[in-house]
This record gives sequence, structure tokens and C-alpha cells, in this order.
Amino acid sequence: MNLEIILFIVLALVAVVSSVAMITRPHPVISAVFLILNFFALSGLYLLLNAQFIAVVQVIVYAGAIMVLFLFVLMLLNTNKEDNIFKQNKALKIFAIAIAVLIFAQVAFLIFFSSPSDALNSQVAESVQSGTIQQIGTKLYTDYILPFEAAGFLLLAATIGALVLSKKKFE
Amino acid sequence: MDLSFITESLYFVKPEIAASASIILLVLLDLIFHKNKTIIPYVALAGIIITGIFVVDQFNISGFAFLSTDNPKYGMIAVDNFGAFFKLIIIISSIFVVAFSAYSDEINKITDRLGEYYALIFGMILGMLVLISASDLILIYLSMELLSLSSYVLAGFTKLRDRSSEASLKYLLYGATSTGMMLFGISILYGLTGSTNLYIISAALQTQSLNLLTLAFSIILIFAGIGYKISSAPFHFWTPDVYEGAPISITAYLSVASKAAGFALLIRFIKTTFVTFVDDNGNWQLLQVFDWESLLIIISLLTMTLGNFTALWQRNLKRMLAYSSIAHAGYLMLGLLVFSNQGLIAILIYFTIYLFMNLGAFFIVMVIANKTGSEDIDDYDGLGFKSSFLGVSLAIFLVSLTGLPPTAGFIGKLYLFIALVDAKMLTVAIIALLNTVVSLYYYIRVLKHMFLTSPTEKTEKIPLNFGQIAVIIIMLIPILLFGVYFSPVVDLAKSYITILGF
Amino acid sequence: MTSIPLEYYLILSAFMFSVGVTGVLIRRNAIVVFMCIELMLNSANLTLVAFSSFLGNPIGQVFVFFVMTVAAAEAAVGLAIIIAIFRNKLSVNIDEINIFKW
Repeated sequence: MNLEIILFIVLALVAVVSSVAMITRPHPVISAVFLILNFFALSGLYLLLNAQFIAVVQVIVYAGAIMVLFLFVLMLLNTNKEDNIFKQNKALKIFAIAIAVLIFAQVAFLIFFSSPSDALNSQVAESVQSGTIQQIGTKLYTDYILPFEAAGFLLLAATIGALVLSKKKFE
Repeated sequence: MDLSFITESLYFVKPEIAASASIILLVLLDLIFHKNKTIIPYVALAGIIITGIFVVDQFNISGFAFLSTDNPKYGMIAVDNFGAFFKLIIIISSIFVVAFSAYSDEINKITDRLGEYYALIFGMILGMLVLISASDLILIYLSMELLSLSSYVLAGFTKLRDRSSEASLKYLLYGATSTGMMLFGISILYGLTGSTNLYIISAALQTQSLNLLTLAFSIILIFAGIGYKISSAPFHFWTPDVYEGAPISITAYLSVASKAAGFALLIRFIKTTFVTFVDDNGNWQLLQVFDWESLLIIISLLTMTLGNFTALWQRNLKRMLAYSSIAHAGYLMLGLLVFSNQGLIAILIYFTIYLFMNLGAFFIVMVIANKTGSEDIDDYDGLGFKSSFLGVSLAIFLVSLTGLPPTAGFIGKLYLFIALVDAKMLTVAIIALLNTVVSLYYYIRVLKHMFLTSPTEKTEKIPLNFGQIAVIIIMLIPILLFGVYFSPVVDLAKSYITILGF
Repeated sequence: MTSIPLEYYLILSAFMFSVGVTGVLIRRNAIVVFMCIELMLNSANLTLVAFSSFLGNPIGQVFVFFVMTVAAAEAAVGLAIIIAIFRNKLSVNIDEINIFKW
């Protein structure tokens, strides 16, 4: 029972509980806060997996930028509490939950059936090396330079798009 | 650090560089000329033509660009004839869409955001060009998102109409969910094979023995994302609402270009990753992951049937054309599920013809909606008598969409059916034929309203200026010409189906 | 990781993916639906990083970098669309946004 397993259990539990809480709370701002908690738990899990750069970027970009944007918009729109989610279309929603449970059961079965960790030996030393920022940076600028530039244009298109849709007339 | 590998690869991506430069140029020009923006459509047109010239240069070149450092045999971008053909289809439809936007009242009303409109169209063009020739899952995902994001915004561009913003929201939610599922499938595929390059995945799938259930699950999830792009059942639910709510030039663009890019991706994905060898007759031999044929047959027949039967009771012409384009996606998948080079040739021929007939139909609907302000079928009563040129051209486009001789639509369907019969799939061919008969009803119903109903007081003669007549004639000529003299198209398609590596 | 097997990470990410899909299907507020889509993307990220760590391959983490970029761009555009709708109709309930018939 070393520290690693305790950390994994705690972080996984936080991730699970916060994700379920997120979809069941009626007030949207509380859902957003639970999602932020989920992202922090995921960041801890990335650290356990030796992905240092991704863990830090997760907190900075996801929890720090994207969720703050969501919270701004939620405050701006002044949304009220939703009704209890099972009030309308009860049968349809039970059906949707049943489908999701089915999907999860199937994926869980697949994972245990194929036992991937037998086929792959855990490459600890390499995984520590590959999570460092130098390695990711090298890959980004040599092998993946074209996706990198494409991501730049994606951000440009998103900026233009957001501006077109939400800005009122300038003059 | 030696960067020669990047500069060598730039030669292969000249069209994409031209498209990117056009985006930046358009945004800058929009800033400089912020009072008088009449120059912007011309700059956009020039950008598309220059990109088109680079695409034509790419015919008969093949090779990899942006080779990976640890496996220099394969790269990110695969340039080949197949890709160049689909890129040419994108360029031609883009030229037409710029022409449509110039004649569209909806677009001419937005005077302050014109530069952004054309910049986003170029964003779509860039996304499609990269999507067509990408051979790495990361690049496929990124370019698909670039295409999708620009489309979400363009679909909601005329935001003063309620339906436009809601179409955009619906498009966004469906699209984001589908690409989220596709991403999960890609992550599982990466975990199984250790790489994201399609060629390396293919080699890994053939040599290692992997768990087929997991592989099947990940492929189905990836098909969720691709199926959303080509609007095949069961991922087609966004299509009618988005096509109805978006400005009509964007609807026309989405129905042709976005679908072409999605199909190019689907064909490249299947052929590169799962085809082990091609025999002398051109039949493909696929990895036995699951029963490909049954799955694709079910999806294709479902798409065709849903599209055709739901179009039967549509009163709004844009919505009817949306359902008809869903049905055409079903017909196109028929060319894929025979798994042979002949089917691929049929798909290429059909796309060339579908480009002209679908764009033509949408243009005429747009011209009529400009004047009457409505797309309802009852407002087409007696149009054939008042504006006979429009009525006759719409009739020709609709007859071609049905697939009757002597229009080119018949040739497209003929080659698809020949490929089906050669692969001994007679039941599928019969069902597809029945679907074509069903589609006859709703296409001919428009003709009945136009020519067999007497005009009411509301229908007016629709004035056309010279440019609009020229655009319609340019689209009519291939439909009529290729209906009788179709060997150039067939020979062109036959020589351009080579995908890199085969 | 010598002590935590890969399956546990994969089960966790599959659970989060299912929760995300459920959320998209049952919630009525457009912004919350969008947040559930972000949860789905995060579950795919967790799968990618877990596989990357176990294979010793940096490709997965490079992919996660790009997915985060895409998620940020999509969030910006999505929220802009929602704001545009809100200005027209003062509601973001997707049940009310249904003027399209079958």
C-alpha cells in the first residue's frame, strides 16, 4: 500500500464522483465547479503517469482558461436553476442512461478481456523521458510541424468566428 | 538543426500554402479597406484560382510530405492522384460558391463582416485540402475540426434570423459529440498499434495479432465521426435543420464540398489501413476485422431509404434538397461497399456530376428566394410560365438528380449500378433502383408545381442579370454534355484513382 | 508504472466517457451539454496519456496537446454561438430551441 496506490485511488474517486455530480446538479454554475474539480483530479492522474507537461497544461489551459470562459458566459447569461432533470421525457432519459450503462459495460468487458497490460510491458524509464517538455517540444517542431501550423490556423478561424458571432456593431 | 526535411516537403503542399496565405491576406485587406469592401470577393476568387493552379500541378506527382524522423518511409501528407482529383472538386465548388455569394441577397446584406465571411470560407477550404491528403490521425482530426469550426460559424452567419443561430447550435452540438466519439476511437486505435500514421497502423494490424473486438469497437467509433461529416444514417439528423437554417450559398457548399472531403477521408482511411492487397481485377482484399460488407450495406441502404422517404413530404425546397443530398450520400456509399477499383471509379464520376447538379439546383432556389423571399414549394406555382429559363434549368437539374437519361445523372447512377452488378450484389442494386423510383416522385412534384399549375397573382417574373444567366449556363453544360458524351469523364476517373502505396 | 495496471486507467476513462455521453443526452441547458462534451474529450485525453506512458511513446502526449488546442477553440466558438442565440431568444434551453419540424 504505497503512496502511489493511495494517490491513484483518491484521485480516481474524486474524478468519478465529480463527473457524476456534474451531470446531475440542476444549477449550471455548480456543474461547472464540479467539472473544474474533475480537471484537477485528471491533472494529478497525468502526473502519476509521468506526463509532466500535459499535467501542467491541463491546469493552465483547461481549468484555468476554458472553464473560466464557461463561468464568464454562465454569469453573463444569468441562467436560473434547471428543473429536476427527470421531470420531462422521463422514459427517454431512462433509456439514454441505460444505453450509456450498456456502453460502459461493453468497454469494461473489452478492457478486461484483452488485458492490454500483459501485452505491453510498462516502459517506465522511457515514459519518464517522453513526458518531459524537451521531448514533446522536439516532436512538435520536427515530426508534427504541419499539425502545429494547422492548429495555428484553427485558432485563427476560431477567433474570427467568435468575433463574428458575438460582437455587436463597432460604430 | 537541419531543417531541410521541411523545405523539401513544402513543394508538396503548395495548394495549402496558397490557401493559408489567402486567409491572412483577406483578414489584412478587411482591416485596410474597412469602409469599401468591394475588392474582397475578387481577392477571394483570385486566391481560389491560384490554389486551383497549384492543385492541377499536383496531378501525376505522388509522394509523402513531412516524413517522420523515426520512420522515414511514411509521412504526414500523402500526395497522389486520388487526392488531387478531390481537391479539384473542392476548388471548383469553391469558385461557384464565391459566385453564389456575390449574387445572394442574404450575403450582400452583411456589409461589415464580409472579409470574415470569405476568410472563413478559406478556412473551410484549407481544412478540406489538408483532410483529403492527410495520412496521420492527428492531422485528420485537426483538419476535420478546422473544417467543422469554420462551418459552424458560417452556418450561423446571418444571425438576425432565428433559424440561422439555432441551426448553428444544432450543428455544433452534433458535430462536437461526433468528433468527441471519433477521438475516443482514435485513442483506442493508437493504444492498440502504437502509432497514429495510417500506414504504420496498417503494417501493425497485418503483422500482430490484436484483439479484434477492441479494434472493431474503435473503428465503429471512428466511423461515428466520419459518418457525421458525410451525413450518413444514423448520424444525419443535423443535416436538414442546418441546411434549412444556413444561408443558401453555405448550404450548397456544405452539401457538395464538405461531403466530398468526408468521402475522400473515408475512402483513404479504409483503403490505407485495412486493405491488404489489390488483385488483378481491381478487387480489394480487406482485413477480416468484422463483416465490412454487411455493415456498409446496412448503413448505405438505411441512408438512402431515410433520405428518400422523408423527402416525400417536405414542403420547403431547401429541406427537400437536404434530404435528397442525404440520399445521394447513400448512393455514393454503394460505390464504396463493392470494395473494388471499379466502385471507386464510379464514385469519382458520380461526384463530378453531383457537383454540378446539386450546386445548380441550389443556385436556382437561391435566385428564386432572393425575389420571392420564400423557399416553399407552393410559391413555385406556375414559375415555368413566368420565368421560363429558370423553370427549364431547374427541371434539368432535378431530372439529373433523379438519374434519368439523357442527363449526366443517369451516367453517374449507371456506373454505380454496373459496379454493383459486377460484384454480384443484385439485391442491393434492386433496392437502390426502387429508391431512385421513390425519389422520382418528389423531384417531379416540383416540376408539376412549376409547369402544370397555373400561376397565381403572387408569382412574378424573376429578372436575371447577365452574370446569373452565365453561371446557370456554365452549370447546365456539363449536365447535358456528359449525359451523351461521357467518355472524357470516365477516362479521367480511371486514371485518377491511384492512392499512394498501392 | 509498476504498481497500477493500465486497465484501471482505461476503466476510469471509459467511465468518464459514458458519463459524458449520458450528460449530452439528458441535460437541457446548452452550456451544460457543452461541458459534457468537454468531459468526453478529457476522457479521450486520459486514454491517450495512459497508452503513451505504457508504450513509452511521446506521440500520445503530442496528440493530447493538439486536442487541448481544439477543445479551447471549440469552446470559444460554441460559447459565441450560445451568446448569439441568447441575444435573440433569452433562453438556452434546447427544448425550447425547436422550431424545426420533422
